Amino acid sequence: MTKSFISICIFFSIFSSAELLLEITQGSDNPINLGIYEISNQEKEHSLIKNIIQNDLIRTGEIKFIEGIDIVPLPENEEEFNYSGWKLLGLDYVVIPSIKNSDKNSIEYRYRVFDVSRKREVRSSTVFGLSSNLRQVSHYASDGIYEAITGIEGVASTKLLYVNEISLENEKSYRLMVSDVDGYNERTLLKSPEPIISPAWSPKGDMVAYVSFETGIANVYIQDLATGDRESVLEQNTQISSPAWSPDGKYLSLTLYQDGNAEIYLLRLRDKTLTRLTNHYSIDTEAIWSPRGNKILFTSGRSGSPQLYEISLRGLRSKPKRITFEGTYNAKGLYLPDANGNIFVHRAKSGSFHIALKYKRENFIRILTEARLDESPSVAPNGNMVVYAISDDNKAKLAILSLNGARFVLPSSQGVVREPAWSGFVR
Amino acid sequence: MVITLNKQIISKLILLTMVIAAASCSSVRVTNESVVEEGVRGVTISKKAPETQAILANATVYFEYDSSRLTSKSIQTLKGLISVLENNRNLDIVLEGHADERGTREYNLALGQRRAESVAAYLLSNGVSRNQLKTFSYGEERPAALGSNNASWAKNRRVEIK
Repeated sequence: MTKSFISICIFFSIFSSAELLLEITQGSDNPINLGIYEISNQEKEHSLIKNIIQNDLIRTGEIKFIEGIDIVPLPENEEEFNYSGWKLLGLDYVVIPSIKNSDKNSIEYRYRVFDVSRKREVRSSTVFGLSSNLRQVSHYASDGIYEAITGIEGVASTKLLYVNEISLENEKSYRLMVSDVDGYNERTLLKSPEPIISPAWSPKGDMVAYVSFETGIANVYIQDLATGDRESVLEQNTQISSPAWSPDGKYLSLTLYQDGNAEIYLLRLRDKTLTRLTNHYSIDTEAIWSPRGNKILFTSGRSGSPQLYEISLRGLRSKPKRITFEGTYNAKGLYLPDANGNIFVHRAKSGSFHIALKYKRENFIRILTEARLDESPSVAPNGNMVVYAISDDNKAKLAILSLNGARFVLPSSQGVVREPAWSGFVR
Repeated sequence: MVITLNKQIISKLILLTMVIAAASCSSVRVTNESVVEEGVRGVTISKKAPETQAILANATVYFEYDSSRLTSKSIQTLKGLISVLENNRNLDIVLEGHADERGTREYNLALGQRRAESVAAYLLSNGVSRNQLKTFSYGEERPAALGSNNASWAKNRRVEIK
């Protein structure tokens, strides 16, 4: 009794500083049943790790946890696992963990994953990390377990970038934040009295680009996460916005306003040469690169309302091709990582703004969200989940939905949170 | 296969992923990996001293939804401004475009800019010098009125003349 009380206290004292907290609102109808064994000699550490892994896997919307797996004893002999016992408990997969503290500061977390129906071990992995960084160790293990079960790389170890706006007695403060995908481990990258918008990750995840109004006019900055070194990408007397990195990290697409109107340019970072991509008297902005880097998707008002267009970067003077036709507002498009579809902001007939998905092979769009003002979608690197901002009545918060039906929100305890950007794989 | 580890492995960006076919069961995937270090350093920008604002002509013109077209009411406001500017050729004017919160932030930044340019075009066609004008946009980032309703949105679709 005393022991479990202590472990609960530790749990809260370590994690109460997190500003974004998880609330699962809906899960999958047909989940995979998973059980994780306890570790008898490492109860304290393991209950922390197990808790994080469970939350990570529940958030995928595909996995459900079966309690009481320890009823089925582990065999003395490695080769005689009780598959039929596991099956009786309704388990599809079983995880047997072990922990080794090679010294005071580091930890080795080993996990073995067993497929119950096929009666075999499918993965045996060890994660090495610092004892002070159990959350990361746990996220790595979650991703490995998820991959062993589904064949898809997990995203529990990836990061979110977002903007936090805090209002205190007429003084506004804007912060660019980075956190783990579960909202913990939140850190400030930039704090400014002027707005920050459009944060974007570099492909390697070591740099971020964003728009800051710190000089009174929108400009794009690049910042190194580890050192805090930052620079404006171009010095112009007109505004610059909407940065997006090319997949090879060599270019940044930008929206420039040199001739008063929003036009898309590609900036080669090495020597700061600019190539103009669009030339139209209507608005062209929100450029994003296709996963292979051979196309740019952008929002244009050239048809009379904002719609998505795609332009090929192969061959000179290729014409933009219109992608969206449903409704009078489709903007801020993204590619799914396999390039089989696009996610974007769509205005419904009701006037509400929702996140929508259009697969290439389909000639209709799928509305994914139902709040009144949903915006800023960003896709997980495995293509399974979308993070977006619900921004109604100035109570903006982040929400995540998995394309297989699970949903959860990451409410902020302080101010409003918006403009999420999902990192690539960091492992 | 023996993997030797030293303590540095934790603090460096080392990722060891090893797929080893285990002898007993050929389908097991065996991996070893080290957690990536994630040092992050933040930056703080402090507020500049408020600049001395143009004393003259603090006016605002308003727009319809997703439109940068001047309304007849806006034109009335601008006519007053033109006479002020004609008599003060040294006066620099900033046209600050804004949008309501609906729609995406980058599109709204561009829309606010179009509204500012629309006001600029009217002033230019009425004899104001381009050198006197500077246009930029705050998009939806600086609402004049809070609240997600028609009344607030109408107040936010504007160009502030400073």
